[in-house]
Amino acid sequence: MADQIAKISEVEFGIELPAFDPDTSIENVRRFGEYVGWGGGRFTDHEAARKEGFPGAIIPGVMSQGFLGAMIHRWAPTAQIKIIDTIFRAPVLVDQPHTITGVVTNIEEDLKQVEIDITITNEANETRVQGTATIELPA
Amino acid sequence: MQGLFLDDDIQVMRDQFLNQEFDEVTLEIDGKRFAEYAKACGELDQKFTDPNHEDFQAPPTFVATLVGRRNLPEDFPRLNGVGMDAGKAVEWLAPIRDNMTLTGKSHLHDIYTKTGRSGRMVFLVTRMELYSEDGTHVANADTRTVIRERPSG
Repeated sequence: MADQIAKISEVEFGIELPAFDPDTSIENVRRFGEYVGWGGGRFTDHEAARKEGFPGAIIPGVMSQGFLGAMIHRWAPTAQIKIIDTIFRAPVLVDQPHTITGVVTNIEEDLKQVEIDITITNEANETRVQGTATIELPA
Repeated sequence: MQGLFLDDDIQVMRDQFLNQEFDEVTLEIDGKRFAEYAKACGELDQKFTDPNHEDFQAPPTFVATLVGRRNLPEDFPRLNGVGMDAGKAVEWLAPIRDNMTLTGKSHLHDIYTKTGRSGRMVFLVTRMELYSEDGTHVANADTRTVIRERPSG
């Protein structure tokens, strides 16, 4: 498995993208909240999140989706993400290790497009976020 | 639309609200904001993180952070349940750059249901279409809200 690809001819059906461990630290989420938004207690304060019924602070959904985009770009820096669809199945908890994995599910050579299934799982290997992406690569 | 058969109340909502624009906002794009978004999400490419890069632009997923004044039409019926964010989808059409002024136009793009062990769930897909100042359609940002209906009676 190549760590990076540059052209569609380098992509094979079924190959797995290099796994990516996103920075879920509370410092990073607070920084996200400061500059981007989603700085409320449920995202930036474990105790406040527990009072809302969560096991701890949770990663904003828009940030989880950003993790997926970053994972694709790390594997394919020349890729243009055309579509990315994300389903939030369960909270991604702040300060908990998570892993993002991806697999190529379709290649359309004529369109120079590749489809990828992406999943965020926690340490218990439970799926928290699922995504599908369509990317375009140089010939 | 997810299924072929729709409950009558859902069909009524679809007929009344789908594809009717209910919100329009002006959005000033701040490169500092999308660069910090990129760094926090783990992007390494300097075209997303360095304002001095010649091709500096927002990561495609950044548009999911742009919000309108409201997520549903003003006269949309109140559903019997609690709404939760079920997902986001983004369609990239053209680069979004620092200091651009975008217009975001929102409409309900889909309404459908799924039925699980705990009852019916109603899914509402709100789409914000984003246009640059010259009218170029630069992106679509969908928000999928799920409402798990409370049992009636």
